[in-house]
Amino acid sequence: MSKEYAILPCNGLDKCAGCAAGELAIRLSEETGSEIICPVFYRVADTRYNRIAKEKPLLVIDGCASRCASKLAAEKGLKIVKKVNISEEAKSAGIALKTDSLRLGETEKLLIGNLADRLKTEEDTAESGQETSFFPAQLTYDTYQKDKFMFRIPEEEAFFFNENDVWAYVSGGKARIGVTDYVQQSLSDIMFFTAPNVGAEISQFDEVGSLESGKAVFEIVSPVSGTVTRVNEDLLNEPERINQNPYEQGWIAEIELADFEEDKGLLYDFNGYFPIMKRKVDEFHV
Amino acid sequence: MADINIGAFKMQIGVISCSGEEMLGGTLTRMATRKVMEELRPGQAISLCLPLFLAGGEEERNFAKNFPVISVDACEKHCARKSTEKYSGRVRDCVVLTDFLDPEVIFSKTVSMKDLTEEHYHMVDKIAEEICKKIDAASAGS
Repeated sequence: MSKEYAILPCNGLDKCAGCAAGELAIRLSEETGSEIICPVFYRVADTRYNRIAKEKPLLVIDGCASRCASKLAAEKGLKIVKKVNISEEAKSAGIALKTDSLRLGETEKLLIGNLADRLKTEEDTAESGQETSFFPAQLTYDTYQKDKFMFRIPEEEAFFFNENDVWAYVSGGKARIGVTDYVQQSLSDIMFFTAPNVGAEISQFDEVGSLESGKAVFEIVSPVSGTVTRVNEDLLNEPERINQNPYEQGWIAEIELADFEEDKGLLYDFNGYFPIMKRKVDEFHV
Repeated sequence: MADINIGAFKMQIGVISCSGEEMLGGTLTRMATRKVMEELRPGQAISLCLPLFLAGGEEERNFAKNFPVISVDACEKHCARKSTEKYSGRVRDCVVLTDFLDPEVIFSKTVSMKDLTEEHYHMVDKIAEEICKKIDAASAGS
């Protein structure tokens, strides 16, 4: 039986990928009875679309790395059940989308047909839930206190840290990354989160997003190398989650590891990082 | 030509169309804008992506602040014109499909590209023609 979605496509007009996103949405609505949420009209009148988004599992279709549809879903607080990025799907399939025309050619139509067939039968995977099997449900912390400020560090063995105060929780070829309490306390109220692109291949110590507060901009330096597979979309709407707890609800991204054994040589475990953070707090934290 | 010469400055013209999925009219504005950009006035106007504009796209918003823009809306909700005016300023001119095409078709359900009819393509041609008239008028400074 075909799946019925509430579909939020980016509907971009500037690139072929945006046009393909719109066409995929229409194709699915015709073939499955799914309902389309117009990303433009949704900003004008959201009552009807909020109802649709609640009644059916939400499929978000982005065209390019700007991820306008994902951002809109985050702004509206919608729970995304499935997400597709046309540019990334094309890359995975070895297809070069047109760059000189917005017209959909046979290659683009084939990609749309394949994606439609897949989405009609694929199992849901809620994006906003925590993956308890990968990441522990509860963490234990050691703390260091300076004046009224508390700096926590998780004690679990699978946590590693770089000198740039970014952590990685490593398990089964994957890592979840985020910043440490030192970063969020130093920045104070974080107002903006710039996410890395899902699908981006990064090397250890590459930038993997940034944070901005009234005090400063912090470049997130990746502790590991690999491919970004998931981003904490909740932070786009609520970056203050990082201030609340940068290890749990404030995590940044997940990365499929390329060669962790090599990365590990330039990282610290809890025992190595704790005195580094303590020294930084004593020397620099105001 | 779609470039306007004002003193030493050479101005360009933007086209921002609703391109929505609420009704077939959105699809028609998308196709007409594409036809203008790729066939009728290639290199003479720039298309602005409305979803990106609304999502905070700085390049789109700055362009619309600094250059004349023609909005293309399917219906009287005027999503393209109102959004442009909200974030960037007044539009130079606007095209509204319900002013000159059958509203029954405009308000009908969106269809896949493969199911578009001769009538739809004829409507796309008429919309593209209207957009071109506005571009040419803006170019002439009228």
